[in-house]
Amino acid sequence: MHESILAFRKRRYLWLALVVSLAAIVAYLIDDPQEPPNGGTVLGYTLGTIGALLILWLTWFGVRKRRYSSTRGTVQGWLSAHVYLGLALLLISLLHAGFQLGWNVHTLAFALMMLVIASGLWGVFVYTKYPGRVSKVRDGSSRPELMDQLEDLDRRSQRIADGMGDDYEELVASGAARTQLGNTLWKRLRGRDLSQVVLHENGQTSVVPNPGQEAALDWLADRQSRATDADSLAQIGELSALLRNKRQLLRQISKDLQLQASMEIWLYFHVPLTAALLAALAAHILTVFLYW
Amino acid sequence: MKYLIRFITRNAAGGAEHTDKIIDAPAITIGRATDQVLHLKDRRARLQHARIEQAGDGVQISSSALTGVIVNGRSQRASRLTVGDVVEVGSNVIRVIDTADGVDFAISFELSGDASADHFVTDWSEPVSGIGGWSKRRLSWALVIAVAVFALALPFYVGETFLQAGPIHSAHSPTASECDACHINAFERVPDSACEACHTVDRHVVRSMTPVLGDIRCASCHLEHNEPQQLVNQHQALCGDCHADTPPDALLASAGDFLQNHPEFSVADEQSNLIFDHAVHLNEAGIVTPGGRRVIECSECHLPEPGGAKMLPISMDEHCADCHTLAFDPDDPSRTVPHGDPETVMQSLVEYYSARLLGADPDAVEQRVRRPGQQLSRADRDRAAAEARVKALEVAEDLFERRACANCHTVESLDGNAEVPWSVQPVQLADTFFDNAFFSHAAHDTDVTRCDGCHGATTSEFAQDLLIPDLESCRDCHGSGYARRNNASQIPSTCVMCHSFHFEAKGPRE
Repeated sequence: MHESILAFRKRRYLWLALVVSLAAIVAYLIDDPQEPPNGGTVLGYTLGTIGALLILWLTWFGVRKRRYSSTRGTVQGWLSAHVYLGLALLLISLLHAGFQLGWNVHTLAFALMMLVIASGLWGVFVYTKYPGRVSKVRDGSSRPELMDQLEDLDRRSQRIADGMGDDYEELVASGAARTQLGNTLWKRLRGRDLSQVVLHENGQTSVVPNPGQEAALDWLADRQSRATDADSLAQIGELSALLRNKRQLLRQISKDLQLQASMEIWLYFHVPLTAALLAALAAHILTVFLYW
Repeated sequence: MKYLIRFITRNAAGGAEHTDKIIDAPAITIGRATDQVLHLKDRRARLQHARIEQAGDGVQISSSALTGVIVNGRSQRASRLTVGDVVEVGSNVIRVIDTADGVDFAISFELSGDASADHFVTDWSEPVSGIGGWSKRRLSWALVIAVAVFALALPFYVGETFLQAGPIHSAHSPTASECDACHINAFERVPDSACEACHTVDRHVVRSMTPVLGDIRCASCHLEHNEPQQLVNQHQALCGDCHADTPPDALLASAGDFLQNHPEFSVADEQSNLIFDHAVHLNEAGIVTPGGRRVIECSECHLPEPGGAKMLPISMDEHCADCHTLAFDPDDPSRTVPHGDPETVMQSLVEYYSARLLGADPDAVEQRVRRPGQQLSRADRDRAAAEARVKALEVAEDLFERRACANCHTVESLDGNAEVPWSVQPVQLADTFFDNAFFSHAAHDTDVTRCDGCHGATTSEFAQDLLIPDLESCRDCHGSGYARRNNASQIPSTCVMCHSFHFEAKGPRE
C-alpha cells in the first residue's frame, strides 16, 4: 500500500520535529542570558550548531537518494525526515538569532534558508498533488503510449492523404513533423502549442503556426467548401475528424508535459539555493569568528 | 449474448492456426488492460479502447478513444458491424466472420505485436533537463560564486558593515565603519585595549581589587551589535552572582534581589542647622501670607534642576522672603536687612542708624545743634556713631534672637564684647542622600506619583526629619530583577537601575 512521505510510519518524523521544536522553544523561554538573546549566548551557540549540522544533514539527502545500495533507512523515510526537520530548522534558526534580523550577511543566510524551505514546500505540494493529476490527465496511458496514439493518428491521416494530391500530403506530413509542444521546461510550463504546418494556397507555399491544428483545419474546411465529388468530401471530412482528435490528444499531452515540468522545475530552485545557502552559511560562521 | 472469438496464432513455420473461444458476456471489450476480452499489446490502444456489443437488432463497435477504430479503412468512433467487416486497432486486425451455430456474433482476431515503424520527429516529448542550458549543478556553482563575492569579497571593498551581526550603538557611531578599531586581531575577541583607546579606565573596576572577576573583558558585559541596543549589562546576575551572599563581615551587606534580598537604606539624619516645620507650611487650611491665606504647594519651593534628576537648592530670597521679611523698623516697614552673614546685617543696621542721626531727618540729633554752614565737630560725630551702634545692637538683638533669624536658623550668642555678638550655624542642606546609588526625580515624575506619596512632609515638624522614603515604599513599584517574582504593579528592577557596577577608584580597600 502506498504511504505518503508525509504520513510515513505514523508521521514519526513529524513528531520528532515537533519534539525538537518544542525543546528549542522551552530552552529559549527558560534561558535568561545577561544580554539580549542572540547567537552569541550559550543557547545561541548551541542552537546555531544544531541548525548548521541540520543543514548539512538535510543537504546530504541529495547524496543519500543516489546511493541505491545504501540500507541506512529508506529513501522514503529520509525524505519524510528531510521535510519535517527542514521545517523545524526555521524555528531553530530564529531562536538561534534571538529574532534579530537585519541587512547583513547573517540574515542573508537566513533569507536563503527561507527560500530553500519555501521551494521545498512547493516541492512537497507538487509531489503530493501532481502525480494524481498526471494519472488523471494521462487517463490510463503512459507518455510513450500517448505519443504512439499521436503517431497512429498521424499515420492514419497520412494513409488518407496519400493520393489526394501533393498539397494534402504536404499538409499531413508537415503537420506531423512540425508538431511541437515545447522542448524546454519553461515552454512546457507555459503549455503552449508551438506546432506549425506547411500550407499550399494559390500556388504559394507558406509555413504558418498551427496551434490546436487550427490552421490545418481551416485549410481543410476551405477545401471542403469547394469540393464537389462525394469521395473527396468524405476524405476531407475524415481527415478533419482525425485532426480534431489530434488536437484533443495534443492538449492532453501538453497538460501532461506541463504537470511534469512543474514537478521538475522546483528542484531548479531548491538545489541551487541550497548551494547558495551553504556558501552563505560558511560566510556567516566565518564572519562571526573573524570579528569575534 | 454469446460471442465466438477465433484466436489466430502462427506456428513455427508461419502457418495459421486457430483456437475458438465462446464467451457469454454483454460485450467484447478490447483494450490494453488485462481484464479486456481482447487483450491488446499495442501501445496505441488505450486500456479500455473499444467494445463490440448489441445495438438495436444489430451489433456495433464503439470507441471512446481519441484515435477511435478503423472500420474498413475509415476512422470511426462507432460503426455497425456486418460479416466481412475489417476493424483495425493500432496494428491489430479484427474481422467479423460468419456466425457459427449457437452463437450470436463471431469475430477472428490475430494478436499483433507492438509494431512500431519509423517514428516521426518528437524530440519535444523527450525528458529535458536544464533551464536555458543551465543544469542544477551549473546554477548551484553560479550562486555559490555570487554569494561568495557578494557576502565575503565585496564587503571588504565597499564597506564591512554588511558583515555586522547587528547595528552599532549610536555611542560608537564615530567608529561605526572602522571595524578594526575594536576588532583588532582576526579570530580574536575584542580586547580591553580597544576600549581603552577612547575610554579612560581609572573610573573602572580595578582588577586587583576584584580578583573574582577573573579574565572577564569589557566586552563581556558591554556587548555591541545587539538588539535591543543596550551597552550596559542590566541583568540581575551581573551583581547578584557575587553579592547575593556575602560573608557577615564583608564591607557590603548581601544584596541579591531588590525585592527579597536588599539591606535597609542607611541614610544619616538631616543636619541642616535649620529650623523648619513642613507641617505648618503645608497646612491644608493654608497659611497667612502677604497675599492672604493660601495653601502652599511643594513645587513653590522645590523645583527640579535642568535634567530633573535632583532638586534646585532652596534660596531665602526666592522661596522664603515673600513671607519672612527682614524688616526691622516698625516706622519704616519696607526697609529690610540683607539676608547674609551677621557682619553684613550688623553693618547695614549701623549704616542705617548713622544716616538717621547724621542725615536730613528733622529728629536727627545733629540737625538740632548745628548752625548753617557749621561742620560737625569730631566729638559730635563720635557721639552720633556711638548712638547709632547702640540703636543697631538693640535692633539686631531683636532680629537675631527673637524676630527674624532665630525663626529659621540656629543662632548662638557670643561674648557681648564682640563686634557682632551672634553667630548663625551654617546651613547644610543635603544635596544627595545616597552615596552609592542614584535617583532621578524626573524618572519618577508620572501621572500617578505625588510628592507626598514618597515624602511624609505634611506631618514633619522638624528640619531634622529624614523625609527620604524607606525601602518598603520603593518596593510598592520596584520589584525583583526577576520579573516572575513581582506582582502586577511592580516593575522589574535590577541592581544597575540604581547602582553603578563601576565605582570611583578610591584606592585599595583593605
